[in-house]
Amino acid sequence: MIKVKGLSKRFRGHDVLANIDLDIARGERVAVLGLNGAGKTTLIRCLLGLTDCDGSIEVEGHDVLIDERAARKHLGYVPQKPPHFDGLTNEFIEMFSRLRGIDPRAVEQHLERLGLSPEEHGEKALKELSGGMMQKLLLALALGSEVGVLLLDEPTANLDPRARKEFLRALKEVDDNTTIIAATHRFTDVQALAERIIVLDRGKVAFDGTKSDLLGRVGAEAVLWISVPANLRSDAAERLAKRFERDAVTMNGQAVGIRIDSAQRSDAIGELRDAGIPIENMWTDAPALHEILEPIIGHGERREG
Amino acid sequence: MVKEERVEEMAPTTKVLIQREIASSVHGRWFLAYATVFLLSGVLMVTFGMGDAAIHGYRGFARAFAAMTHLALLFVPLMALFPAVASLAEERDRGGLEFLLAQPVTFGEVFFSKWVGVGGAVTLALTLGFGTAGSVALLRGVPFGLVATLYLFVLLLAWVFVSIGFLLSVTTSSRSRATTVGILVWLTLVALGTLGLMIAFIRWGVPRPVLSVWTFANPIEAFRIGIVTLLDPDFSLLGPVGVMLLERLGTIGTALLAGSSLVLWILIPTFVAWKIFAKKL
Repeated sequence: MIKVKGLSKRFRGHDVLANIDLDIARGERVAVLGLNGAGKTTLIRCLLGLTDCDGSIEVEGHDVLIDERAARKHLGYVPQKPPHFDGLTNEFIEMFSRLRGIDPRAVEQHLERLGLSPEEHGEKALKELSGGMMQKLLLALALGSEVGVLLLDEPTANLDPRARKEFLRALKEVDDNTTIIAATHRFTDVQALAERIIVLDRGKVAFDGTKSDLLGRVGAEAVLWISVPANLRSDAAERLAKRFERDAVTMNGQAVGIRIDSAQRSDAIGELRDAGIPIENMWTDAPALHEILEPIIGHGERREG
Repeated sequence: MVKEERVEEMAPTTKVLIQREIASSVHGRWFLAYATVFLLSGVLMVTFGMGDAAIHGYRGFARAFAAMTHLALLFVPLMALFPAVASLAEERDRGGLEFLLAQPVTFGEVFFSKWVGVGGAVTLALTLGFGTAGSVALLRGVPFGLVATLYLFVLLLAWVFVSIGFLLSVTTSSRSRATTVGILVWLTLVALGTLGLMIAFIRWGVPRPVLSVWTFANPIEAFRIGIVTLLDPDFSLLGPVGVMLLERLGTIGTALLAGSSLVLWILIPTFVAWKIFAKKL
């Protein structure tokens, strides 16, 4: 589906991408992770043929660097920053459907599936749509075009938590034959949609494997937060520290947190229940991106941008 | 066969892009403003020209029309520059260009559709404004060839600044920078025109052949010499270079030279802008 060989890009004397090889199969869900300046956006732009680079990129057998039009027919794009367009949503759909050679009704059908009404929202100026609606519209355009590959560049970066959740849910419903490649720096996005993770560090692939491989390798685990009555919080923390590792337990003004893998969660809960400590609430926090990336890319000097 | 399919495939894409560009330019406030300015100035020129025409016949009317084309020197470059910069640099700044190029289109289709679209919208605005004055001029007996040639010169000047606007859009980092540099370029060309030529001739004694090159290297001066030559080759308006060229090349030769200069000013910046744009974002 996508074959990248020896992909390199230099900009102002820096290797933004350095000799990247990738093979992405149909239907794969891939997250491209990395700190700012790691080369995530440049990789997406290269895949779209928007920027000059060395090497070769094949999408469905079409070389992006040679036959950009044929390759882009198979590529749908959802950028971080929604495109500016003076006009109504309907006009946007009409224009981009014509450019993609598809029936606008196909886009409208997907829009409806994503919870937006073509009648109601179609008559609105595009700039009146919220960030979440806009991302859904771009997703509907790509899905209506029946693209084989969805490229997303920080698609949830500008969305509020609710819109982010809805957008990620919509992505999960994308059919299994569609490949999704998302550049992101949010590990929650990764957890929601990707199985394969590519970590970029200063333009190089620092890791390419499954999500569990990555978490296993770096040892970063989600934090399970357990809310208990305030007067029992210290007792709960002490019990968990004795049962697991003392360093894995933390406390804040609301709950006791423990960094353990998901298989051990029921043990932690059982430990408190056995001690007669009532559990009021529970939730998990994904490990922070830097916690995941640091063991892989080290603490070296980072470029910003 | 493959080539034929490609041509068939390209046509609708280009049409969609040009239509969009013209529509968004026509919906812009600048379009209405400039068309109105030209329409009003056309009506005024025609009204005042009528009195002159009673004394001098069609030539008097032509003078009124000439005054309007001189007005073009002030307005046309800016009315062409601003939408050109908005079309490329502003759209790039706002992320629209990247999204557009991520569709099944080529860089060439996007660039040239925008160029044709902006130029087309400017042509439309000028035609609306100039059409009134030109029509009355024709009714008053000004030869069609003269009206058409003057109109052509105004259009050429507009397209020169569309091309300069595109070049600045691809060589600067933002719309505001492209606009600022564009205004500076326009002011410099105006200053280097009549005033610069006079200083060079009188104060520095620059020889006339050098001044001729100077004149035709400047699209605004080439435009001015072209229309004055066509309308009323008054020596005081033509200046030393214009007079020399008129004596050597005659009216048609001078007008052709001026027109060629404008055509080159359209082609060269467009070609350079395209080469830079084609290197990708």
